[in-house]
Amino acid sequence: MSVASHPVEAVALTGRALAPARGARIASACGLVGLVGVVLTVWLGLWVTPPDAYMGNLVRLLYIHPSMAWDAFLAYGVSFLASAAYLWPRTRDLRLDRVAGASAEAGVVFTGITLVTGSLWGRPTWGVWWTWDPLLTTTALLFVLYLGYLALRRLPGEPEVRARRSAIAALVAFIDVPIVYFSVSWWRSLHQGPTIQPGRSEVHGSMAWTLLLSFVAFSLVYVWMLAERYRLAGLQARDEVEGLADALAERRAEAGMSRAGEAS
Amino acid sequence: MSVGTPAAAPGSATTAETGQDAAVAALRRARAARTRRRLGVVGVVLAAAVGFLLYKALTSGIVYFKTAAQAVAARASLGNATFQMEGVVVPHSLRSHAGVQDFVVCSGPVRVPVHNVGVPPQLFEPGVAVVLVGHFVGSSNLFSSDEILVKHSSAYVAAHPGRVQQGDGQTC
Repeated sequence: MSVASHPVEAVALTGRALAPARGARIASACGLVGLVGVVLTVWLGLWVTPPDAYMGNLVRLLYIHPSMAWDAFLAYGVSFLASAAYLWPRTRDLRLDRVAGASAEAGVVFTGITLVTGSLWGRPTWGVWWTWDPLLTTTALLFVLYLGYLALRRLPGEPEVRARRSAIAALVAFIDVPIVYFSVSWWRSLHQGPTIQPGRSEVHGSMAWTLLLSFVAFSLVYVWMLAERYRLAGLQARDEVEGLADALAERRAEAGMSRAGEAS
Repeated sequence: MSVGTPAAAPGSATTAETGQDAAVAALRRARAARTRRRLGVVGVVLAAAVGFLLYKALTSGIVYFKTAAQAVAARASLGNATFQMEGVVVPHSLRSHAGVQDFVVCSGPVRVPVHNVGVPPQLFEPGVAVVLVGHFVGSSNLFSSDEILVKHSSAYVAAHPGRVQQGDGQTC
C-alpha cells in the first residue's frame, strides 16, 4: 500500500473530509428541512389533496413515485459530474471519488423505491405488477448497472486505481439515464410521459403544489443522505489507512521488543 | 500491495521484522483474494441481469405494442401470432358477462372488435386507452385477448362527479 508509506498523502486524502464545521451544519439543516417537508407532503398527500377524477385515491402515489425517480436521476447526475471531475487531471481528488460513490449509493436506494412504488401503482391502474415496457425495462437496467458500479467499488486495490476504474464505470452507467428519461417519447410505452415538463403541467391545484413540495423535500433529503454517506466514506478511508499504519507500528514494536530481549 | 517495503527505520531491518511485515502482507493478500472471489460471483450475476434486461429492452421494449391501425395494416404478416395491441375502448361498445368482455377498440378511423377472457383491471371502462395481449382469430379481424392493461395519461385532475376522462387524451 503506497498510502501507508506516504503519511502526508494519507492525511491529505482524509483530512478535510473530517472537518465537520460548516458543511456538516448545512447538511443537517437540509436534512431537517427535508424531513419537515416530507411530513408536510405526507399530510397534504394523504389528507388535504382531493382524489383524482379517474384513478381516485391511487393518485396519492403521485406524491412519492415521481420524486423518487427524480432523486435517482439527481444522484446519478452528481455521481457522473464527480466522476468526470475525478478523471480530469486538474481536478483529480479522492474526495470526488467518495462523492461519486456516496451519490450513486443514494441513487440505487431511490431507484429501488421508484421500482417498488411504481409496481404498487401499476397493479391497480394498469392491471399488472410489471411489464416489459421500455421505461420500466431501462429503469430496471439502471438499477442493475449501478449495483454493478457499487460492487466494482468494493474490489480491492490502490485507492487511485479503484477511483479511476470506478469513475469510468460511473460514466458508462450514466448513459442509461437519458435513455430512461426519453424512453417514453422515443418508444411506445404503457407508462405515460413525464408529468413535469418545462412550461407544461397537467396536474391541477393543490395536487400540483403537493407534487412540487415532494420534489423539494426529497431533494433536500438526498443532499443530507449524500453528505452523511460522504462523511462516512471519509472515515472509512481514514480507518483503512490508519488501521494499516497501526498494525504495522504494532508489529514493529513487537519486533523491536523481541530484538531488545535478544540483545540484553 | 508492497506492505513489506516501508522499512521505516533504515538499517534496522532484521529478519524478525521482515517476517512480521510479510505476515501482514500475506493476510492482506488472502483477504483481497477472498473479496475478489466473492465479487466475481456478484459480477457474474449482475452481468447476467444486464444481459437479460438488454435483451428485453431490445425485443419487448422497442416495440411494446402496435396500435390497432398498425395491427390491421400488418394483418397478413401478423397471422395468428400473439402481440400487444393498443387502442381506445369505443364508448357504448362494451358488453361484459361472467369474466368475458366484448368491445371495440379504435385507433384513428380503424376499429377492431375484441373478445377478452379474464378479469380486467379496476380502471377498465369505455373511453380509456388499453393495451391488449392476444392475437387475431382465424383470418378475421377479431382480436382475442387474455390480458388488458389500462393506459393512463399524465393529467391529474380533482374528482368532479360527471366529468369524463379519456385515457391518454385519445378519442375515437
